[in-house]
Amino acid sequence: MAFIQEHEEDIVKCMKCGNCQETCPVYQITGMESRVARGRVRLIKAAMRGDIELTDGVQESLLTCLQCDACSVTCPPGVPVNDLMLQAKAAMLKKGKTLPESLNRIRVNIEGESNPFSQPKKERGAWLPPELRQPRSAKYLLHAGCAVSYAQSRIGKAVIRILQQAGVDFTLMGDREECCGDPLIRMGDAEQAELLIARNKALWKEFGIEYVITPCAGCFKAMKEHYADVIKPLHSVQFFDQLIKEGKLKFTKPFAKKVVYFDGCDIGRHGGVYEEPRDVLRAISGLTLLEFAKNRQNSVCCGGPLLGSYPELAKKIASERVREAAELGAEILAAACPTCLLNLKEGANLAGIKMDVQDVNALIMRAL
Amino acid sequence: MLKNKAFEGALETIKGIVGKEHFYDSYEERLCYSYDATLEEAIPDAIVFPGSAEEIALIMKTANEYKMPVIPRGAGTGLSGGSVPVKNGLVLNLCRLNRILEINQKDYYAVVESGVITQTLNDAVAKLGLMYPPDPSSMKTSTIGGNVAENAGGLRGLKYGVTKDYVMGMEVVTPTGEILKTGTRTVKTATGYNMTQLFTGSEGTLGIIVNIVLKLIPAPEHKESVLAIFKDMNQAAQTVADIIAAGVMPATLEFLDNTTINAVEDYKHIGLPRDAGAVLLIETDGVKEAAVKEIGRVEEICKKNEALNLRKAETEDERENLWQARRAALSALARVRPTTILEDATVPRSRIPDMVRGVNEIAKKYNIRIGNFGHAGDGNLHPTILTDERDKEEFARVEKAVEEIFDLALSLGGTISGEHGIGSAKARFMPKEVGEVGIRAMYAVKKALDPNNILNPGKMFV
Repeated sequence: MAFIQEHEEDIVKCMKCGNCQETCPVYQITGMESRVARGRVRLIKAAMRGDIELTDGVQESLLTCLQCDACSVTCPPGVPVNDLMLQAKAAMLKKGKTLPESLNRIRVNIEGESNPFSQPKKERGAWLPPELRQPRSAKYLLHAGCAVSYAQSRIGKAVIRILQQAGVDFTLMGDREECCGDPLIRMGDAEQAELLIARNKALWKEFGIEYVITPCAGCFKAMKEHYADVIKPLHSVQFFDQLIKEGKLKFTKPFAKKVVYFDGCDIGRHGGVYEEPRDVLRAISGLTLLEFAKNRQNSVCCGGPLLGSYPELAKKIASERVREAAELGAEILAAACPTCLLNLKEGANLAGIKMDVQDVNALIMRAL
Repeated sequence: MLKNKAFEGALETIKGIVGKEHFYDSYEERLCYSYDATLEEAIPDAIVFPGSAEEIALIMKTANEYKMPVIPRGAGTGLSGGSVPVKNGLVLNLCRLNRILEINQKDYYAVVESGVITQTLNDAVAKLGLMYPPDPSSMKTSTIGGNVAENAGGLRGLKYGVTKDYVMGMEVVTPTGEILKTGTRTVKTATGYNMTQLFTGSEGTLGIIVNIVLKLIPAPEHKESVLAIFKDMNQAAQTVADIIAAGVMPATLEFLDNTTINAVEDYKHIGLPRDAGAVLLIETDGVKEAAVKEIGRVEEICKKNEALNLRKAETEDERENLWQARRAALSALARVRPTTILEDATVPRSRIPDMVRGVNEIAKKYNIRIGNFGHAGDGNLHPTILTDERDKEEFARVEKAVEEIFDLALSLGGTISGEHGIGSAKARFMPKEVGEVGIRAMYAVKKALDPNNILNPGKMFV
């Protein structure tokens, strides 16, 4: 039974030092070796050598990985954990292992309606004002993403207003917008994701798109990794920072609040965008920017990627981040990722902490 | 590997003691508790996460009745196979016991459960201006219980000592399931045998440490750091000797050899000269005036010994910069080959040049790569062997080299383990150091406390 033999060199590199325990948010909650890179890599190694079947236990060990990649930062031998986990998940699906129901539903929804939420594709653009629903040729595309289109349109509306205020000529794909493929890649369905990626690229080419702006950190990461050959991806906050520095956007309203910025993994470690959100927030008069003890590339994931599949675990992880923010004395916990925002709100509820969890785009709009 | 049928009854009883949510026996979970940070591996029959000393006592009574091996485990980051269940049985994980029970600022001690992560304790006492000095490199993940069981060392050993110097007392569950209290909360005690020190470094073979009273000290108010680069190892060693002779006691006195310097350069491109024989990282600490004066003496001594380059940190950022090479050492070496074997042979500090020279000769003789770095101030080297365990022929040479490194350390008046312990990895070499009489005496102690040899069997004694 061959199983990811081609990654053997990455697998045998693990020296089992256990450093990954320090950075793994899932291990911090569960305390289980099967819930940290060292154990996961050991299970993959056993599967590779045919010492273990691809059991539900092995699958759950892999599927509870957040793909946050914090462990790779401190891994002495440099095991590419994120990539290895994705490859192992993909190999499992190829071997015919079926996904647990919660993830399979997401997969079926994306394959059918191009979003994870079982919402009709023809209503994807319903949140938009009528004049913005039809795509047209433009240099800039605003890709809202599934979460913003169906659940958190407030974020999208803020981005639109800011873009309009800065006089940017942009378009949206409306009902023709599709999932970026990231949720499928995460669960190992790279083949279906490839189809979506190809469709998106073809559509954007049709309208001559050069830059894709998105407020969704997951989409941003997917675009950096899979679309950068045809377009230049920009996280909306990154783009707004640029506009502020060029003088095309100006803050006029003071906002005297203590804000801590949370580096989501997709915009941060995966996307490499650390300073722009901070620069934007610092430019708002009266705002005091706080920092988590572990920030930037050492930031600890909020657990968001597991909200659909292992919600209890995800919320527990988020409640730890909210607690840390409260201990810092933050009045606002700001993030630039719809998944982080949703899960951090869940975490605040679970912890019983009144924390104002806010999208960075919304904070920008308020201060203009 | 199938589970041992003879233990089914015991495991069923133990599951009842802790509740099924704290008991695991699937093959996947057992595989994930088959290892530590060495190459040793063996699959346990089950894993249990007890929540109190009383639960542990009941577990031990049951295990003793069935003569089932029990292997205490903290974070599993050990470097001698100490927590590997080489005779299978039950892994008893102490990570649920992770509370700091007391920090006493008046009497300078802390009482902690054994599953507390060492860094967590450090952070907690630092907020009160105190310090728990033992700082093994694994401290961000390893537990206090594991540190005590292995008598872990660290970078501050020269000035501040190692784990054993800070253990004042403990609560231990014996292999027969009784709860034993040792030591006191006083600086002095002369009451009976020093049982606290007997359990310290006992590698989980004599009892299960449940909580520990640890000595704290006031944190030093100031630190000074210097990085010195030398053309050859002898100059660096002379520098170390001269610093000590001058009455300066640095908090840190770390070195990297030429192989390690080159690995660090390949990995991080810090700008260290590739032909340098050694790098020393030296820190003094304490009252500001004293630390400043001492680092001045250190600088003079480095110059006298013809340091090629001498850099002193003026800011915290610069200090971090000086630490870059030392911090990168293990990662840099670990990336050279697929398998990294980290040894801890230790010699009196004056013999470091002989030791490094000898290790290099052994590397040449067996045609393998060995980097040396470590704690120059206390003679604790980390000969780090870069190899590939899948290459059987090379690995046979590695095993011979390891044995010669131990012989070399002993011939220089040293020890086969400075801070990692014996475990299963070095058990067969222990008689070389302690002799047959030593082994018999230790085994008599083991037999007295653990008549059925159920607690961490297969460790220390072969």
